Amino acid sequence: MVHALEIIHGLLAPDGLLLDIHPSPDPPPIEVRLGDQYHLAGWLKEADDYVEYIQADQALEEVVRRRLFSLEERGMFPFNTYADSMDELCAYLAETWQDAVVDDQVAGRVDDLMRSPEKDKEVVLRELVQISCLRALGLG
Amino acid sequence: MIKVRIDPENSEASALAQYANNFAGKRVLEVGCGDGRVTRLYSPHAAFVHAIDPDEEDIASAQKELPPHLQDKVHFEATGIEDYAGENRFDAVLMSWSL
Repeated sequence: MVHALEIIHGLLAPDGLLLDIHPSPDPPPIEVRLGDQYHLAGWLKEADDYVEYIQADQALEEVVRRRLFSLEERGMFPFNTYADSMDELCAYLAETWQDAVVDDQVAGRVDDLMRSPEKDKEVVLRELVQISCLRALGLG
Repeated sequence: MIKVRIDPENSEASALAQYANNFAGKRVLEVGCGDGRVTRLYSPHAAFVHAIDPDEEDIASAQKELPPHLQDKVHFEATGIEDYAGENRFDAVLMSWSL
């Protein structure tokens, strides 16, 4: 990851901007909305326990420490995905997020909640995403 | 065919506007563009976008989904950052869910 950031530094104009967007390493909750009520079913796991997001943070810290970039601004924003069923959410995850693991217990809880007679309902995956704004520094 | 509703609140678009002014007028290299979902959010404001991803299927999808009015200024290439051989210098680089 640090090597990729070194390459990027070489591709940026002086004072160029690097914007990095990656999810928080905290497992995102899976909820079910029934009408205006949200019910926690559990958390989405990853095969490698979200280690790559921790490594991404460490890589950014390293290039700042080496004065290739300066950190100008950092924040978080919510990133929600809505599905009509657990099967639909799982199909999406299988296509776009191969490391994602939904425990049978969590899937079962979602299915139980979705069997509610409430007509207005959906499954919600709530991710929290970090956005970092860095400025390229000269080598001299 | 993905049926889920992804970020209908447009939080990601708002963050791009807040933190980078949507790269307005800038020459942008996007690393790990995937199917171009994020590219389509900010590219109307940028001067020029070169978006790369090593997945050829994703790049084909990104090209297919690109609106006609953006075809002249957005270019997709199936490559990773370590193999990228472009000679351009960019005003900004976006790593979209790819670091």
